[in-house]
Amino acid sequence: MQKLIWLYAAFFYLLGTQFAIAAPATDDKPFAEQKIVLQISDPDPFKQTLVLNVASNLIKHYGQDKVDVEIVAFGPGLRLLFKDNANSPRIDGLSGSGVRFAACENTIAGMTKQLGHAPELHSSATHVSAGVVRIIDLQGQGYKLIKP
Amino acid sequence: MLNFKLKRNLLSCALISSCLLSPVYAADWLSLQGTEPESTAPRIKTWGFIQAQYQKDMSDERASTGGYIPPKLIGPNLTSQEQFNVNRARLGARGAGFPLDGKVNYFFLAEFGNNAITAPGGGAARITDASITLNHIKGARIRAGLFKTPGAEEGLQAIHVFDYINFTAVSNQLLLERFPNQQYTANAAPVTLPAPTGLAAFDQPVGAFRDVGIQVFDTFANDDWEHSYAVMMGNGNGLNFGDNDDNKDTYLYWSSEKVFGGEGPRRQGLKLFAWTQTGKRYLDNTNDSTHNPKKYNRDRSGLGAKYVKSALRLSAEYMKGDGMIFVGPDKPTFDINGAGPGGDGSTAEASGWYMDAGYRIPASKWEVDVRYDIYNRLEGDQFEFEFKTLTLGAQYHINKKTRVNMEYADRNIEAVNFASGAGPNAELEGVKGRLAVQLTHIF
Repeated sequence: MQKLIWLYAAFFYLLGTQFAIAAPATDDKPFAEQKIVLQISDPDPFKQTLVLNVASNLIKHYGQDKVDVEIVAFGPGLRLLFKDNANSPRIDGLSGSGVRFAACENTIAGMTKQLGHAPELHSSATHVSAGVVRIIDLQGQGYKLIKP
Repeated sequence: MLNFKLKRNLLSCALISSCLLSPVYAADWLSLQGTEPESTAPRIKTWGFIQAQYQKDMSDERASTGGYIPPKLIGPNLTSQEQFNVNRARLGARGAGFPLDGKVNYFFLAEFGNNAITAPGGGAARITDASITLNHIKGARIRAGLFKTPGAEEGLQAIHVFDYINFTAVSNQLLLERFPNQQYTANAAPVTLPAPTGLAAFDQPVGAFRDVGIQVFDTFANDDWEHSYAVMMGNGNGLNFGDNDDNKDTYLYWSSEKVFGGEGPRRQGLKLFAWTQTGKRYLDNTNDSTHNPKKYNRDRSGLGAKYVKSALRLSAEYMKGDGMIFVGPDKPTFDINGAGPGGDGSTAEASGWYMDAGYRIPASKWEVDVRYDIYNRLEGDQFEFEFKTLTLGAQYHINKKTRVNMEYADRNIEAVNFASGAGPNAELEGVKGRLAVQLTHIF
């Protein structure tokens, strides 16, 4: 019985954690007609510009309230969300338009090992346990995945 | 659901936008060549450019002797008045070797073309840039290795976006350093064509506006103004990796630019700049079969302005030099032939300036350019030469990375203290125009 209670507790703790760091923010966009998740996992810096351009074009096309966009960064693509990234002013702008940015904790842990310290991330970045899981979760909630 | 067409359009728009809106990084030459945009630099970005050219010199040979002097021949080999050449063929790499740490970046470039970098000494290729930049201290970036020294705009700018084919006489002779041969080498007399060997008697490459050393620099933005500074100490030995004496050159540079817009090499703005270079050189100019070099000062300074807005470009620069004044590729120890009295470049002074204007014809791929430059060599000396050049040019931009340059330089060189037809003027009066066409492709 005690084991069962612990299992229940662990289950709800994990569930809570998951919601805490990866909860969908669709409440912010109640009138969104399109829900898009953009993946950035490529080391090519050109892709950083590209993914921001795609997000920007989506906002421009549908309007800020009619589209819900989240950019999920993992692997080498996490560099997009580094605090001093040259694209930071654009991330500020997109964040102001309601675009969300998710940073993969697995990648952060790996980079921390390589760097010897945790990378400093942009203030708009939200931590998610795993970038790929975040994408799967969002797809389960009706988001369409685009990998520019 | 997003349909395929919309997806394709969005991606197309994004691709086009990313070409036009690539990350902004400081657009001054110091930063463009020495830094990478933070956290977006690749581990390695290979790049380079090729310049294929044709030049024809219309000068006359000297009627009495049939000889040709260097200004009448095409460099770097100085064996002909007309030639096709691959003037530059450069291959390089730049980026951040450890991309997770955006505070460290590198720049590497090598020359495989035929010019004054590779031709002297018969070298096939030379490394022109090999540097590492540390960006850890705000306001004091540190660059170490071989790279362009902070100085005159004509030398500091990226050569593959240079609006002309040939440098002005003042930049070419006063700043593009020729290093004297280690031992006294006799002056070369005018040659008759076809010449078995050229008149270029130097045994080392030109300095290529570069040096090995360490530089502290940065750029500061203040509203729409950007201010840049650089302080550098180097060997004063050009592209050579080591030092050939115990003296170090000091370079100081400042620029302030009101930025109108754009980015990169062709950013629009009004830039004001000033610079100095001070150093010493060893020179053996005594014809006594003994290696007995003496130490001479080599000081250079200048100031200028560049204005670029919409289709218009205007620029002007003044430069002066004291000591180690180059007096011709046929005089590798910087003095006039001892057979007659002449000026000695080792302690002489020189100065010059240029004005340049360019206009990009709207709704076309054409740009027209005009430049006028004056160079006074060995000022106050009996052998003072005055070089006056009017260059008319045109550029046809095939695409963003490919263009054709065409130019015609009307040259007038005079030994100001000699009568017409007397002394050096007997040769110089035969110097005429020079036509050049060059195709550049950047990759």
